Order: sequence, then C-alpha cells, then structure tokens
Amino acid sequence: MKKIVLIIPFILTLIISSFLLFYLLQNKDPKKPPSALLNEDVPKIKIPDLFDEKKFLTNIEFNDKLILVNFFASWCAPCKVEHPLFFKIKKDHPNLFIIGVDYKDPKNDALDYLKKDGNPYDFVGYDKQGLIGLEFGVFGLPETFLINKKGKIIYKHLGPLDKKIIENDIYPLLN
Amino acid sequence: MIFIPYLTENFLKYFLFLLICFFIFLFSGSTNAYSEKDLKKISSKLRCMTCQNQSIYDSDADFSKDIKKIIVQKLESGHTEQEIIKFLVQRYGEYIVFEPQMNIKNYFLWFFPFVILAISLIFLIFRIKKN
Repeated sequence: MKKIVLIIPFILTLIISSFLLFYLLQNKDPKKPPSALLNEDVPKIKIPDLFDEKKFLTNIEFNDKLILVNFFASWCAPCKVEHPLFFKIKKDHPNLFIIGVDYKDPKNDALDYLKKDGNPYDFVGYDKQGLIGLEFGVFGLPETFLINKKGKIIYKHLGPLDKKIIENDIYPLLN
Repeated sequence: MIFIPYLTENFLKYFLFLLICFFIFLFSGSTNAYSEKDLKKISSKLRCMTCQNQSIYDSDADFSKDIKKIIVQKLESGHTEQEIIKFLVQRYGEYIVFEPQMNIKNYFLWFFPFVILAISLIFLIFRIKKN
C-alpha cells in the first residue's frame, strides 16, 4: 500500500507528460489554426460576379458539385505564385467547379490582373467589403477551400498552394 | 405691464417644452448606441489572427480593423457580447478567443489543475497524518 501511494505522483506525471508529448508531436502550426468550418455546411452566401455585378452565385449552385473556392487579390503576392496551378487543377479535373473570390480589391486592378495572368476560374466573385471572406473565416490571403457534393467544407488551406499540397492533400479528396 | 408677465410665462413654457424634447432625444438612441468601453471590453478578449500575440483591440492589422467594425455594427444592432463572440467563434474557431471556452473539450484545461491540487493536498495530509 505504501509503495502504491508513493508511485501515484510518478504515474500522474507520466500520464500528463504523455498527453503533452502527443500534442507536441502533432506538428500544429499556430500560424495555421484549423478552420472552424471544417465538416460544416458551406455558409449561406450570395456572391456578385466580378465581370457583371448584376449576376450572382448562391448556395443553390453548390448542390451536387465538387467545388474549390480560392480567395485571392491582385495585391497579394503569394496569390500570384499559386495562380498558374489552378490551370493545372482545372486541366487534371475538368469536372471540378473552381470559384475565385476577389477579396477586398479594387475592381479594375482585379480585372487587369486576370486579363494579364489569365483566368482559371469558372466563376469569379467580387467581395469588395470582405463579407464573404468573413463568412468563410478568412483572415489572410490566399485561402482555399474544398466543398464536397453535399455542400460541406472538407478541406481548407491557408497560404499559397504548391504541387505537393495539390497532389498529396487536394487530389485524393477529389477522387 | 400685463404684457411682460405674459411673455415670461410663455417663455417658461416654451423653454420647458424644449428641455423635455432635449432629454427625449438624448435617451432615445441610447439603447443601440455602442460605447468605446464595450468595444474595448469585447475586442480585448479576442486574438488578432494575423498578429497572434496581440488582441484585436491592440492590433493595427487590417484583420483587426475589420473585426472591430463588425463588433461596432453588431453592438449598434443590439447584439450582446456573448452573441458577438459566438458569431466570431463560429467563423474563426475558438482560437480567436484568448480564454478557452467552457465546454466539454476544454474541461480538462479548466479543471485538471484543481484536480492535481486536490490530489496533492490529499497526499500531503495523508503523509502528515502518518508522520
């Protein structure tokens, strides 16, 4: 009995240390906190078209479609780095509906950017005030979300995409 | 001579009427007006997601400015502090709040130090009694 009582603090320390070690080994990056919307329904939104503000995209268009949503801006340097990759994604997965959301960007700058660098998106939304970004929990550009056919957000990436992320993280979800 | 008291009496009535109107105007909008104190109180509890060691209140980042605008809009439309924080947590996750929320996931964080303290005290008492 005496021995058991003496061992208890040691066992408790071991248990706590195991929890802490397990958490540390998960490689969580504090600059990239998990999305609160993962596995949740896509927010209810109505996005005006960058090229024609009288046209809108709503949640109805999201039904039964695999959708990639990319928040970008003409002033965002990392967005320009990842921009060519969306042409590759579109070529590899023609059934994927890719939405670009121009976030808090002067309209003319966005139009010039897409004219100069090309437009890989099936639809380009214009989020002048950042309200669409707020609904998605965007706090830095670029941010990319993948929405499944049931309208749930199944993946989020903060920062520019690269080939490794696309092939290891996104493509398996598309298949 | 009669004219002067008449003017004075009317002037007083008119002044009283203006005074009542003034107080009605003063308090009519106060239910939805936000105060800097409310903004500071709420935004100090929230983490700036781009400058993560700073609160929304202290940070000058664009993200923080946007969140402050949202807080002001929500306060002006009559939302409570809890509703505003819940709105932001739904979009940015619990990470946006400095203090861990009281829910099942965080019970370990909140209560485990007290559990350890209790066990240690019991152990200490046991040892003292034995000695």
